[in-house]
Amino acid sequence: MTDYIVETQSLTRHYEVGGFTVKALDDVNIQIVRGEYNSIVGPSGSGKTTLFNMIGGLDRPTKGQVFIDEIDIAKLDAYELAWLRCHRVGYIFQTFNLIPVLTAQENVALPMIFAGIPRDKREKRSVEMLEKMGLGERLHHRPMELSAGQQQRVAIARALANDPDIILADEPTGNLDLNTGLEIINILRELNQERGVTVIAATHDMKIIDVSDAIFWVRDGKIERAERRNSS
Amino acid sequence: MKRKSFRGGGERVEFPFREAFWMSVEQIRKRLKRSIIVVGSIALGISLLTHLEMTNVILATYMSSMGTTMEAYQFWLIIVSLFVCGIGLINANLIAIYERYREIGTMKCLGAMDQHVMKLFLIESLIFGLVGGVLGFSFGTITAMASSSVQLGINVLGFTPLEAILRYLAITTGLSVLLSVVSTVYPAWRAARLNPVEALRHNV
Repeated sequence: MTDYIVETQSLTRHYEVGGFTVKALDDVNIQIVRGEYNSIVGPSGSGKTTLFNMIGGLDRPTKGQVFIDEIDIAKLDAYELAWLRCHRVGYIFQTFNLIPVLTAQENVALPMIFAGIPRDKREKRSVEMLEKMGLGERLHHRPMELSAGQQQRVAIARALANDPDIILADEPTGNLDLNTGLEIINILRELNQERGVTVIAATHDMKIIDVSDAIFWVRDGKIERAERRNSS
Repeated sequence: MKRKSFRGGGERVEFPFREAFWMSVEQIRKRLKRSIIVVGSIALGISLLTHLEMTNVILATYMSSMGTTMEAYQFWLIIVSLFVCGIGLINANLIAIYERYREIGTMKCLGAMDQHVMKLFLIESLIFGLVGGVLGFSFGTITAMASSSVQLGINVLGFTPLEAILRYLAITTGLSVLLSVVSTVYPAWRAARLNPVEALRHNV
């Protein structure tokens, strides 16, 4: 039996907008195999981001379930949900979402505060992570003083801080130029292969799609097609 | 290597007071301009209160036989000034915390809980209250001493008991902390209970 890290069952999310019901997600069933590189692909407004938010436990479904390691995350209490976000899932956003008043190093150390890691260990680990991302010279720069590609690398280091087993990336290359985007994709792919982190990236970037093990094509809130590439 | 439990072995989610305190101090330091404005507005309200109170204390001890008490208009002046100060603080906090919605959303994605966000803001307001209270008291006391000695000569100050000064320091600082914390509760609570997606949607 295949080992699924994430599964959804008739996952549905409706939004009420000005008296109308918008079906952002409609009866979505997907399975994500542990350790694979997955892409969720679709035009903007197709429901990619909604699916991303549901899988990451950032928003609650109108109907249906999301299972992470066979646990229905809708049933988690506030502490367990925070625990999931803190230890199991690393988030990467299109707009990076670094905290502007904190330096690169402090941004990476932040999730470790919530994980209860003592200060000296936090500092050591965040410096190591940034050095691995090639940002050893940029530790004490604030996000505003970094290029877009550098900011996204800080965000990746932050996502990895508590050693998650899922990386959720929402349009990680959406605000980057071609080369920087490629760089970020390669970092994610390496992480996936070296650490066995399951990567789930919402995107419409063909370069990301090319390196994926599994691709889910989303349209109008439904999965149009699920495709498997290399069987590795 | 499945990890089934969501309260995993040894892995916690926490935000101890010590960490929250240092993060609050950092936030205050890194948003110094806003912090100065908030502390300044607290100090202003408190210094008016202190000025009136201390003038009464100085005069009362100097002319002990005559027994100067607080006039009704002074009482209402204090109430109104604290009220205005409180409204201003709620307004300042609403804006300041609104500006940090994205940051709150991000922190929640990283494992922060509602109560952690509240803790951060309440500690900040506690610090603002303390600093504003002490500054306001000092300023108000100095102006009270200055105006009384201009009217009645420098000797007037010799009669003021230290004990009364310390008592009023405690009262006004307590009041200042109360003012600051109370005016932060609503804006902070509104921000803390947002789910991460709602908080991240804000573009300021």
